[in-house]
Amino acid sequence: MSRMEVYSPEGLRMDGRRWNELRQFSCQTNTHPNASDGSSYVRQGNTVVLCLVKGPMDTNRATSTTRASADGPVLNINVSYPPFAGIERKKRSKNERRLSELSIVLERCFLKTIVLKNYARTVIEVNLTILSFDGGLLAACCNSITLALIDAGISLYDYVSAVSVGIYSETALLDLNSLEESDLSFVTVGVVGDSDKLNLIMCEDRLPLDKLERLINLGIQGCHQLRKLMNDTVKEVGVELLSKRQ
Amino acid sequence: MSNIISITRPSVKQAKDEDSDDMDIDEELNLNDAKAKEIQDIVVPGELITDDPSWMRGHGTYYLGEKTYSAVAGVILRVNKLLSVIPFKGRYNPETGDHVVGRIVDVTNKRWKVDVGAEHDAVLMLGAVNLPGGVLRRKSETDELQMRSFLKEGDLLNAEVQSVFHDGSAALHTRSLRYGKLRNGIFVSIPSNLIIRAKNYAHDLPGGVSVIFGVNGYCWLYKTKLDNSPGVGPKSSLERKFEAGVKMDAANSAFSPGMGSDAPNKLEEKASWDIYSDKNDSISATTKETISRYRNSLLALSNFNVAVNETRLAKAYEISLGYGDVSELVKSDIQKSIAEDLINDEKMRG
Repeated sequence: MSRMEVYSPEGLRMDGRRWNELRQFSCQTNTHPNASDGSSYVRQGNTVVLCLVKGPMDTNRATSTTRASADGPVLNINVSYPPFAGIERKKRSKNERRLSELSIVLERCFLKTIVLKNYARTVIEVNLTILSFDGGLLAACCNSITLALIDAGISLYDYVSAVSVGIYSETALLDLNSLEESDLSFVTVGVVGDSDKLNLIMCEDRLPLDKLERLINLGIQGCHQLRKLMNDTVKEVGVELLSKRQ
Repeated sequence: MSNIISITRPSVKQAKDEDSDDMDIDEELNLNDAKAKEIQDIVVPGELITDDPSWMRGHGTYYLGEKTYSAVAGVILRVNKLLSVIPFKGRYNPETGDHVVGRIVDVTNKRWKVDVGAEHDAVLMLGAVNLPGGVLRRKSETDELQMRSFLKEGDLLNAEVQSVFHDGSAALHTRSLRYGKLRNGIFVSIPSNLIIRAKNYAHDLPGGVSVIFGVNGYCWLYKTKLDNSPGVGPKSSLERKFEAGVKMDAANSAFSPGMGSDAPNKLEEKASWDIYSDKNDSISATTKETISRYRNSLLALSNFNVAVNETRLAKAYEISLGYGDVSELVKSDIQKSIAEDLINDEKMRG
């Protein structure tokens, strides 16, 4: 068996996972209590993302000039991709097209998730730092924003959990790493809570349309599993806080 | 489709539970009961709270049809028929009557903008402060022009929330001698939900230090005022009035240059200028050290999520004395043991 086989006949992927296996997922909240209102640290396999949320705050406090909107918050999402994050050291320009696209997609997704009416005329600043990249960037960013917003005490309709799904001939593969991402077509889906509603879907490759449904189905199941893991962390933190506070 | 496989790290929590096998069984049962109830009351965004439509939906909730869901991670609070969720963390939410500490961030048209750690900056209207020249003095255009001579950007003050606007921003007032500019001390910011609600937020602590716990989590530790002049301090207003009467004669002779207004009561004139003074009193090195020790003790408690009031702070200070120099108190392990000692001490006393 070639080491670089994407999906072996035995049903194993390059890193030894099965088709329906997520990478190891772990997360923490409130990692930076002094620097932000809410923060989170999410690790999906070797992809590590740190998210800091500031706000809701007055528009004149925001780092960039923003105009307040009367019917909801202004959501500023910044993605920073330091040179050391990828496999090879490479400096990326600040307004790289892919990164700004990423932040626009996330912005749209979370403006649908935040309870807008509570935050008129405010700014919510979200700063994402990719500490290490190994595929599933959008998914990891989405999960970390969800956790950081919850940590900041911002009203959300529900969790948004996201995962990427790729297709290898007839098989759908869950949660791709960067090697698989470069070889396969994939789509990232973000699911609202434990429903089947999609708040986020992004595909940058060509996909056979008849396979799309299967991919999304697998993605939804993966998202539900991730939501469960994030939920456990949030509850655990809550119980710990309560026990101390009296 | 088959289930999703996910591998997570073994949780540390379970290992801890096994350790506590030797705990008294009765106690453990009680603990578990209390814990179970707490866990039941913890909700996360999107979690169904009730499908009974007779509940009124308060903060931190939203509804779809007849079902009420939580919008934040927090604890359910039921008051009569009102259902709300108090988030674990979040920005300060001003309420009328709150005693807050804030920092001036902007001087604009007839008002100051004050950072109180809320979603919006609070406003302090020129008409809502005591100006030199007595309470009843009319504010003129000259006052508007020299607002910076009273309070300028960066100044700290304590005030009361007079009213809350519909968007949640607050209007403050300092129309009492308890409120006004802050001097002679150090500013400490802790999460607002760690302030224990009380009748009084200004207290004298042992060691010649006083504290103001702003409900918004901004605290001010300062040297206790020793003289009897009116100003920020924990005295009751009745007491202060009496002292003011006694001091009347002295104040009349020692009149400081005012703003050119014909004040009927020169005492108040003097008092007001004192309030807006930028000059600190001389503070001895030992007092400074005591203030620093209080600050570090307060931060130790807040870093380990212990809610504070004046008794706890005084106790934490007392405990911190056993940990050596003030500079030692910034170490995380020492902060942790201070917080733990405090909780244990309270448990012992019951």
